[in-house]
Amino acid sequence: MFSTELVVQTVISGVMIGVLYALMALGITFIYSIMRMINWAMGEFYMIGSYLQYALVALLLGPDLWWLAIPISAAGVFAFGLVVQWSLLKPIFRKPPEARDDYATVVTLALLLLLRSLATGLAGPNQFSPGSNLPVVMVGPMPLAGARVAAFVFALAALALFYCLLRYSWYGLALRATSQSRIGVQTAGIDVQGVDRIAFGVGVALAGLAGALLAPVFLVYPTNGLITTVKGFEIVVIGGLGSIPGALIAGVLLGLIESLGAAFIDSAYQNIYGFALVLLILVLRPTGLFGERGREA
Amino acid sequence: MEPALETIGLFKRFGGLLATNDVSLSVERGEIRGLIGPNGAGKTTLVNLVTGVHAPDAGEVKLGGQSLRGRGMHEIARLGLVRSFQVTRLFGNMTVRENLMTSFLARRDKGESDGAGQTEGMIALTKLGPLADTQAKKLSGGQRALLQMACGFVVPANCYVLDEPFAGINPVIKDAIIDMILDVNRRHRATFLVVSHEMAIIRRLCQQVTVMMEGRVAAQGTLDEVARLPEVIAGYLGKALE
Repeated sequence: MFSTELVVQTVISGVMIGVLYALMALGITFIYSIMRMINWAMGEFYMIGSYLQYALVALLLGPDLWWLAIPISAAGVFAFGLVVQWSLLKPIFRKPPEARDDYATVVTLALLLLLRSLATGLAGPNQFSPGSNLPVVMVGPMPLAGARVAAFVFALAALALFYCLLRYSWYGLALRATSQSRIGVQTAGIDVQGVDRIAFGVGVALAGLAGALLAPVFLVYPTNGLITTVKGFEIVVIGGLGSIPGALIAGVLLGLIESLGAAFIDSAYQNIYGFALVLLILVLRPTGLFGERGREA
Repeated sequence: MEPALETIGLFKRFGGLLATNDVSLSVERGEIRGLIGPNGAGKTTLVNLVTGVHAPDAGEVKLGGQSLRGRGMHEIARLGLVRSFQVTRLFGNMTVRENLMTSFLARRDKGESDGAGQTEGMIALTKLGPLADTQAKKLSGGQRALLQMACGFVVPANCYVLDEPFAGINPVIKDAIIDMILDVNRRHRATFLVVSHEMAIIRRLCQQVTVMMEGRVAAQGTLDEVARLPEVIAGYLGKALE
């Protein structure tokens, strides 16, 4: 029963879903590393991305143009993120830093409830599926759902683009500098509020992208962001809060563990395996695989 | 001519502590002014008010005649005022070269050079070459202080506010920093306000010093003049300066 074929297939599907989880975790950790706040409404940005994708495919572009809908959905979530930072978060950052965490938690939790209720109010508690007319892809003898393969390829491309911009562009330098010292970067003449706005937009756009990519797989409904958000936070704990390589590696690790556990232990407990890993990490290495113990403000 | 840097009646209160109490001072273009005083005299608060970290409760700061009221730290930095911190504010996980390159971030928006040449020049000048690709957090305290100065000097500014640039640094790096200050001062007529407890260095750099005590400007003049004043000696708990 432990055939090589099954093992390989399980590993491939684990890595593929892991990369999608990593997008989510990267968004959480990126916003934290720049703004020092947790965005608890991350799953709702995922949800908005999935609704945008569904609306574009079902009402406007048609299923053949699904690939065009994906960047448009992500861009829509990015733009919404800019508005949220400008209207709700920027005022918080005028307060002294001690109060910031508390305010940010309250504001993003309120946003979570508001957006979920809005989705239910506008589109009802229904499940939608943008469908996928992508053919099944054969990797050797193994069939893989076309929508999953497409989501994996898109996610990899987005991660590569994100990495290159962060590593090699001037704006990437400003972002990295801001994550190290918010005071220091202002001394260099950088407007941290502007950096915050872009970082928040990019962070939630990563969630929106995951939502758009997974819409045909995990469907579209008001609370569909919950599971991926929980996974996102699991990954952040495993990889270390604020660490970008940590988010990527832990994302793939979580995907693998869930997939292997489901295949070889029991698929009913798929969501438990990740939490077991989280507990193990918390016992052995509380800062996560790549986390740092305390940082300068 | 307008003074390069001027503060007019600055007040700043933190809870029950009046950290600066009606502080007015004026520094001419090209001057290196020393700012001395016992611990807790309000020197760092003054520096924070000048550079926009805190907003004054009353009074105002002018840079080259232009009011800085309502401007944030980054806007003041863009007007050509560079500061250094008592505790170095480097970007720890970034390399020495990347730290220097951040000084050009604001410049790039104005379509000026990307600073690659100046960055390499500064690495050579500070002899940080072998460490250029080392993360800043792995440097020694002195090297960090030197790098912080280098970040401030790689893009020449009009005005520098240096908070304790010499504290806890070995004499060789101290001399390197002094040379950099004098060089930028001479070549660009840059103005300096230097906070330091090291009287020997203040004597070497500054024609004029301002003495702060308990939030007020207690005296101003040459170091030798102020060192003779009874209130200054009293403020330093009866010890003569040095």
